[in-house]
Amino acid sequence: MRRGIILLLALSLPFQARAFQLDLGKVKDLVTHAGQLRDINEKQEVEIGSGIASNLLGAAPLVPDANVQKYLNLIGRWVAQQSERSNLEWHFGVLDTNDVNAFATPGGYVFITKGLLLKMNSEAELAGVLGHEIGHVLKKHHLKAIQKNAEMGLFADALSIATQNAKSTQALNRIVGVGTELYARGLDKEDEFEADRIGVVLAARAGYDPYGLPLVLQTLANLNPQDSSLALMFKTHPAPTARLDALGKEMPILDKYATQPELAARFVKTLQPKRENNN
Amino acid sequence: MRIVAIIFLLLHVGAAHAAEYGYTLSSTELKDAPFTDANTLATLPEKTKVEIISRQGAWLQVKEQQKGWVRLLSVRIGEGSTMSGDSGLKSLVNLGLGRSSSTGVTVATGVRGLSEADLKNARPNPQELEKLRRMTIPPAEAQKFAASAKLSAQQINYLPEPAQTQGGETVNPKLFGGER
Repeated sequence: MRRGIILLLALSLPFQARAFQLDLGKVKDLVTHAGQLRDINEKQEVEIGSGIASNLLGAAPLVPDANVQKYLNLIGRWVAQQSERSNLEWHFGVLDTNDVNAFATPGGYVFITKGLLLKMNSEAELAGVLGHEIGHVLKKHHLKAIQKNAEMGLFADALSIATQNAKSTQALNRIVGVGTELYARGLDKEDEFEADRIGVVLAARAGYDPYGLPLVLQTLANLNPQDSSLALMFKTHPAPTARLDALGKEMPILDKYATQPELAARFVKTLQPKRENNN
Repeated sequence: MRIVAIIFLLLHVGAAHAAEYGYTLSSTELKDAPFTDANTLATLPEKTKVEIISRQGAWLQVKEQQKGWVRLLSVRIGEGSTMSGDSGLKSLVNLGLGRSSSTGVTVATGVRGLSEADLKNARPNPQELEKLRRMTIPPAEAQKFAASAKLSAQQINYLPEPAQTQGGETVNPKLFGGER
């Protein structure tokens, strides 16, 4: 319908041939992508997400500390259980890099860097950050962004996965490639704000003080933005102060949960050996 | 469990002597108790420097000319925006809000990282992916772990979407499967 109207408009302006092409392109994108997302099933989502996860692990491997990894998975899984996608097989990993960041890939893969983990002070803070990342998975933010960026027809090819032919494998690899690049560019800032709103609620549902995530944002706001370990995170996310500001509007709804546990002691005890080793 | 956390806090406050400060983000009411309907003692203008004394839930006890309570999210904790990373960390430690000691993390350049370039050049690492998969925790175990810290699950609705403030590049979500 809309396509028809735009076509008519464009045709009525014969001297604006370029505008015509642009509009038509956009509309075609929207129509094609709308069809594509509906067609992606959970198995394919996980397949794309695990491909990107494998790439992220290629950039930075897991911290070789089974204790810390298990701790992260226990908390992460508990927080994810409070969501509408508790059926996914959730995986959480601490990446061995001092860069400060956290990532989620489609289908239930969540990563936090050692650099960010060591800047935190309680389990509630960790739960809030994991909740934010889980939020990206719930809302399929990355999947949608990949589709926006992938060239036409790629998803259609990958979706013939059922046949498992060479063409679909190739297309899937391309999608994973496009997907990985996306992590260097970041999501739409509205997606980040939405993930923040989800993160505080999931932490509160899990029984934690929901102010953990805002406290992490306070920490980030106090770091030197010139520090290279923050470069990618600051480039790909709205400023911490803007995120605090946005949360401030809705957070009072959660005030009655603000006295739920922070579990600072358990967090510090688990992380203590890591801190010492890293000095 | 809360008590353990409080003891922990007290220990840390004892260790950190320096006062902690913050700035009001906008005009903020100073209350005589940590509740929305408590008496208003004063209205602090934007960017008022306050000394932070303690936290209770969503509130910070602060001292400006007099002691009172303001919302945690109405204060930007820290000395100001020009601080270096290091003093920023220290200042949060001093706050004693359950904040542990500074880790003094320094960036080891050229080792491995997650810069833009690192991501663009990343190659798959199936061994690490397999390791990651093996670490997955069954829901029942996570539940046990939560119970051991007396975390209890709550029924809470998601926060409402704020009224659209500016027309950015927001695409109609309905076009993309519309699950909101």
